[in-house]
Amino acid sequence: MRPMKIAITGLTACSGCQLTLLNCEDQLPDLLARCELVYFPLAESGNTLEVKFDAAIVEGAVSTPKDLELLFQLRNASTHLVAYGTCALFGGVAAMNNRTSCRQDLLHTVFGAAEKLPESFAPAPLANYVSVDAAVTGCPPEKQEIAELVAALAAGTLPPPRSYPVCTECRSRENLCLLLEKKELCLGPVVQGGCNARCPATGIVCEGCRGPVREANVAQELELLLERGFGRDEIERRMSRFKPEWDYGQRR
Amino acid sequence: MGSVVEIAPLTRLEGHGRVRIYREGCRVERVELQFVDSPRLFEALLVGKSFAEVPEIICRICALCSTVHKVTALLAVENAFGVEVSEVTSLTRDLMLQAGMVQDHALHLYCLVLPDLLGVRGVAELARVAPELLKTGLAIKKAGNLVLETAGGRLIHPVNICLGGLGRCLNRKELTLLRDELQKVLPAAQEAHRLFSTPFPFPELPAPDFLALHPSDRPLQAQLCRMGDDPAFPLRDYREHIEETVLEYSHAKLSKVHGKEATVGAQARLNQGPDLEPLAAKLFADHRHELVGRDMRGNNLAQAIEMCHATERALRLVERLMELGTRRADAAPIAPRAATGCAACEAPRGTLIHSYSFDPQGICSAADVITPTALNQGALARDLLALARGMEGEETSRMTTAVERLIRCYDPCISCSVHVLSL
Repeated sequence: MRPMKIAITGLTACSGCQLTLLNCEDQLPDLLARCELVYFPLAESGNTLEVKFDAAIVEGAVSTPKDLELLFQLRNASTHLVAYGTCALFGGVAAMNNRTSCRQDLLHTVFGAAEKLPESFAPAPLANYVSVDAAVTGCPPEKQEIAELVAALAAGTLPPPRSYPVCTECRSRENLCLLLEKKELCLGPVVQGGCNARCPATGIVCEGCRGPVREANVAQELELLLERGFGRDEIERRMSRFKPEWDYGQRR
Repeated sequence: MGSVVEIAPLTRLEGHGRVRIYREGCRVERVELQFVDSPRLFEALLVGKSFAEVPEIICRICALCSTVHKVTALLAVENAFGVEVSEVTSLTRDLMLQAGMVQDHALHLYCLVLPDLLGVRGVAELARVAPELLKTGLAIKKAGNLVLETAGGRLIHPVNICLGGLGRCLNRKELTLLRDELQKVLPAAQEAHRLFSTPFPFPELPAPDFLALHPSDRPLQAQLCRMGDDPAFPLRDYREHIEETVLEYSHAKLSKVHGKEATVGAQARLNQGPDLEPLAAKLFADHRHELVGRDMRGNNLAQAIEMCHATERALRLVERLMELGTRRADAAPIAPRAATGCAACEAPRGTLIHSYSFDPQGICSAADVITPTALNQGALARDLLALARGMEGEETSRMTTAVERLIRCYDPCISCSVHVLSL
């Protein structure tokens, strides 16, 4: 079987998702043997976009004309396009203020009154612009998730989506419940699992880095947190750290 | 006739960058270095957020250096509110910085630089032509990563280190595992310098002005910064010494220190005469003449020596943590107040400075982050011009190869540098 041709790149992002692939030290030689990294500027020179890709794995949100141009090029050239990581799926940290501040104001805060500001618009998920065939969530994703994705692509399929909250794995690890027992602002009940409840296992609340779980009961989470004395502003600020838009249901 | 050679995208480094060489005939007129990562505007996003959120958000500036960004942010917030942390907390943070240095240098040297030395495209070809070398590098990187993941709770964007303390302390079993794994890779880390000790054979570059935190300060308590032989200046006055300008063609700002282009990073630290661990001190003594006062082509060698130093130091910190036992480190209480806090650490790529101001409720009112790559940008541009001019008349492909190799000596991290500060 010919090795599949892959493109891996980042748009508006920190490179953490791409780095996670390089952090699979044990599996890396085997993964490299299964695919041809035709376009992977982080770790390869001599890249080209002038081929047909079996898959493009794209990290990051879309926030500049350059991001869009590269995304369209990759979409047109690829059989599968994978939204890789929370920014690509939900907008991520760069998008946290999308609902509360105007992009131009943010640019001025950072670049001052400079005459020529970089072209930039509110960071948005890939799916706002192109169709997405598969997704891996997380800031950053777990190592086994990227290994699983590449292995699935090499086998001609896609990894199955997960749909259970962080609490499922957290309970099975028998961690102390930070939300109910310590009354902390934990987002576990509404956030996608698959991380084996990493943060609560070290005694730190779930900050929601994997985005919403399917059918999340957001209104109930909000109720629980309000009952525990957290302010609406604080809760919404925390919820929007990785995804600016949430459906707060009847509590809106 | 005028012509432009463009190298885009720059490869085997973090982020999006490009270089343009403008030529008139074969004479090089100018060289433009552009960092074109999409701006994420972190300093603006932090305004209005609570002090507790600042370190968790700011570490997302960069994946490669997320640990040192998080530690520096914690130190800056604690500095603002006058928080003292326990010895176990401090040692654990230091351990993570050392491990971050090990894994980052290993990644850069073995996955990104080594392909240049062997004349291959990248890590995939490396796996075919030099599988054993790649495995050695990956093993060192893995040991560093194991420490980060065990002590930080997560490898990239660590969660276990937090304001005032730790989520949980490492237990004896974990510390023993870390010690064993670090010991296993120490011989390889000690040998790494052999691969990277020959500077590439291109024209000599201008002598750098090396900037680093003052080596006499205690770990995680940096107070002074020093450039070359200039008198050291207090960190809290950094704004008076580091001047920044917005460039039209790049998304990162250009920094100058005392009107000069500062150079930061591994070689800069070694030039400031740090207190090295025994094996690294021996290596440094052997290679001193290639590093002290020499141009940046020595930086990869300096990184290899630092990788050995950081492995040894991480081992020493693990042993100290074992001595202290695993008694619970109580989190220091935090009382927000209107204040400004500032802190700096030596990140793998050089000096990193964070500064935050808060209102009486602890809501962030201003944020300022100066990254090593932003500091290095001026020196890198200067060296690129010198290199291109020194190679006038040579084949274009030879020149572009040299340009890319020089950039990899600097090991820039572009997503860090593009986001910049309030004026």
